[in-house]
Amino acid sequence: MREKATTLYIGPQHPGITGNMMVKVQVEGDTIVKARTEVGYLHRAFEKLQESRNWLQSFTLLCRFCVPEPDPVEESYARAVELLEGREVPERAKYIRVLMLELARMASYMLWYGGQNGSLGLYTMGQWSVGDRNYILDLFEELTGGRVYHMYIWPGGVRRDLPDGFADKVLRTMDYLEKRLKDYDDLMFENTIFQKRTQGVGIISKEKAVEWGVVGPVLRGCGIKSDIRIDDPYEVYDKLDFIVPTQEGGDIWARALVRRQEIRQSIRIIRQVIEKMPSGEFYNRIPNPHKWTLPKGDAYARTEATRGEVGMYIVSDGSTHPRRTHFRGAAYVHGITLLEDLLIGENVADISAIMNSLGTCPPEIER
Amino acid sequence: MMNDKNSQKIVDIIQNWARKHSIWVLAYGTGCGAIEIPPTMTSRYDAERLGVRGAATPRQADVLLITGYLTVKTMKRVIRVYEQMQDPKYVIGFGSCTINGGMYYDSYNTIKVLDKYLPVDVYINGCMPRPEAVLSGFAQLQKRIAEGRANGAQQYKDNLEWYRANQKKIIPNWIMPDYNW
Amino acid sequence: MKELKESIIKRIKANFADAVERNDFKDNRLDFSVKKETIPAILFYLKDEMGFVHLSDVNCVDWLEDGELEVVFIVWSPADKIKVFVRTRLDRDNAVMDNLDMIWRQMNTYERELREMFGVQFTGLEAPEEFILEDWQGPPPFRRDFDSAAYAEKTFWHRPGREDAQDVRESIADRDGEEIPDFAKKYSR
Repeated sequence: MREKATTLYIGPQHPGITGNMMVKVQVEGDTIVKARTEVGYLHRAFEKLQESRNWLQSFTLLCRFCVPEPDPVEESYARAVELLEGREVPERAKYIRVLMLELARMASYMLWYGGQNGSLGLYTMGQWSVGDRNYILDLFEELTGGRVYHMYIWPGGVRRDLPDGFADKVLRTMDYLEKRLKDYDDLMFENTIFQKRTQGVGIISKEKAVEWGVVGPVLRGCGIKSDIRIDDPYEVYDKLDFIVPTQEGGDIWARALVRRQEIRQSIRIIRQVIEKMPSGEFYNRIPNPHKWTLPKGDAYARTEATRGEVGMYIVSDGSTHPRRTHFRGAAYVHGITLLEDLLIGENVADISAIMNSLGTCPPEIER
Repeated sequence: MMNDKNSQKIVDIIQNWARKHSIWVLAYGTGCGAIEIPPTMTSRYDAERLGVRGAATPRQADVLLITGYLTVKTMKRVIRVYEQMQDPKYVIGFGSCTINGGMYYDSYNTIKVLDKYLPVDVYINGCMPRPEAVLSGFAQLQKRIAEGRANGAQQYKDNLEWYRANQKKIIPNWIMPDYNW
Repeated sequence: MKELKESIIKRIKANFADAVERNDFKDNRLDFSVKKETIPAILFYLKDEMGFVHLSDVNCVDWLEDGELEVVFIVWSPADKIKVFVRTRLDRDNAVMDNLDMIWRQMNTYERELREMFGVQFTGLEAPEEFILEDWQGPPPFRRDFDSAAYAEKTFWHRPGREDAQDVRESIADRDGEEIPDFAKKYSR
């Protein structure tokens, strides 16, 4: 007997991801037959607001694009501005930027650990990883003055040099977190419930991943080696030694494994950065921001974030204000068309887990 | 006996004392603000020792924690969520953008002053407020509850027409169920 | 890199006569301007024949002075490691383009946003009318002639702020019941 189709509304009030978003699903019994996303609950019109601020003022809006990991957005903007203006960045600043980006990547993955497991009902993991994430936020706080919003990577370099003894603190934190990762494995990856709930759920095939524009850890979880840090290297990633982990399968499990390995790679990168960091200038000073104009033209810079490719497209008409900026987030692709397709045939209980594993970040979709 | 003024006072004191120690929060996490809620709730800051914990649905919650700016589209949902909540209920506005618009002061899609649309008991300022600030906000709310001054819900009931007029001014297509006040 | 760029330009020019290239970028970037009728064909060609399988970004720039909207597509080739910008200009009052979501499925989302925010119509686009805004009655908000600040001023309540550089120490001291010591008073602004 065919069961009657019912419409369910998941959200908009926090469907287990970072922000408000609604998924309207039609279910037959427990199986989803149709899904439709509805976004727009967080639209603040950043791109419009940036047009009425000058090049430096609009920079403060950037970290609000996606809160779990604001630094790649700043990085993209800073690099787009530098590309357009032809501004050189000191070598030391590049290393500090990489340090910052990798710390941010780790912090974001720690939050994801909590979110992914929370969506499956394993709340202990959230207590552990979000608690440990505070140690990284402490580093951010010492370096930039803010726990969440750093506004640190800006055009021309970084805002401040590393404080005394900061490198040691970073290394100590890395040692601690590396030890903790083993505990996370025991709790999460060795957990039968986690294995059963994630293996074979939300499968993306290789062909579809390329066809639908999937990026980042989700693409690497389908067995395709693709990382902007390697493909289109920026800052000093081409001088560092790290591998890009991939995993066959394309399900939530594979994506989780990719992320787990990436944390280890981040620790490796951070250790290398601290070792190789040269001394010298950290900031190529920009002129008076109220009179600072950029040459006519446009530029697009992209950065590998935890969700995938985030890019910033800026257009200048030669004035002190941006003509137009456009932010390209990975969730923009993952969170709407791909999610709608992926949910079909899955259970209602897995919606939140799938959304989490795709790295859906609603504030990034509607900006 | 309940009409006796003094005994009513004692009942109020006991009630407020009980309410103060079990604040169940419905975190309406709009974009930004939700990011400092997990640290507040987890091991380092551990808000649960104040009796603050998350609630799953509006009907079980005591506090509506509005973390950040509200767009017009979200405003409609938040009003609905607030009206679904049972008494006693309180609203905490979290972040500068609920107070005066913050950095979105010229955005065409976000509201600037939350207390014109919903009765706010406590504001926590900052962009973003640290977990300590959030805890201090909760402590402030507890103090107000104990003193019997956190009467936003009563204020909303008394001035429902004024609030409704404000809400309808920004929400053009008003399709809402009428909750029985 | 340079030969690769030259060969891409040569292939594009051979197939699309109206393409105007720009090749003065230091990094791995190429730029083509085409007429709007050519857009589907050139994107199909780039994707299927030349390996530009990844759509990085689609966006729109409002050139109010020229009365034109510029739509920019950024595509990326994982094999050649080159990004190509394809741009076209539309009439501002009659911004109509062909629907492109059969080339890349995710284009659907971009088109919905451009339709809502810039008023660019895509013929044959199948998607719900509303994307981000709900019950929006004004003009497309991302166009240059829409003034966000004025609209916000008109529509929303604003809390009056304090004057800049105001000395608030006294009111704070009053509130907390403290006294400002005499030596501190002379440092008032």
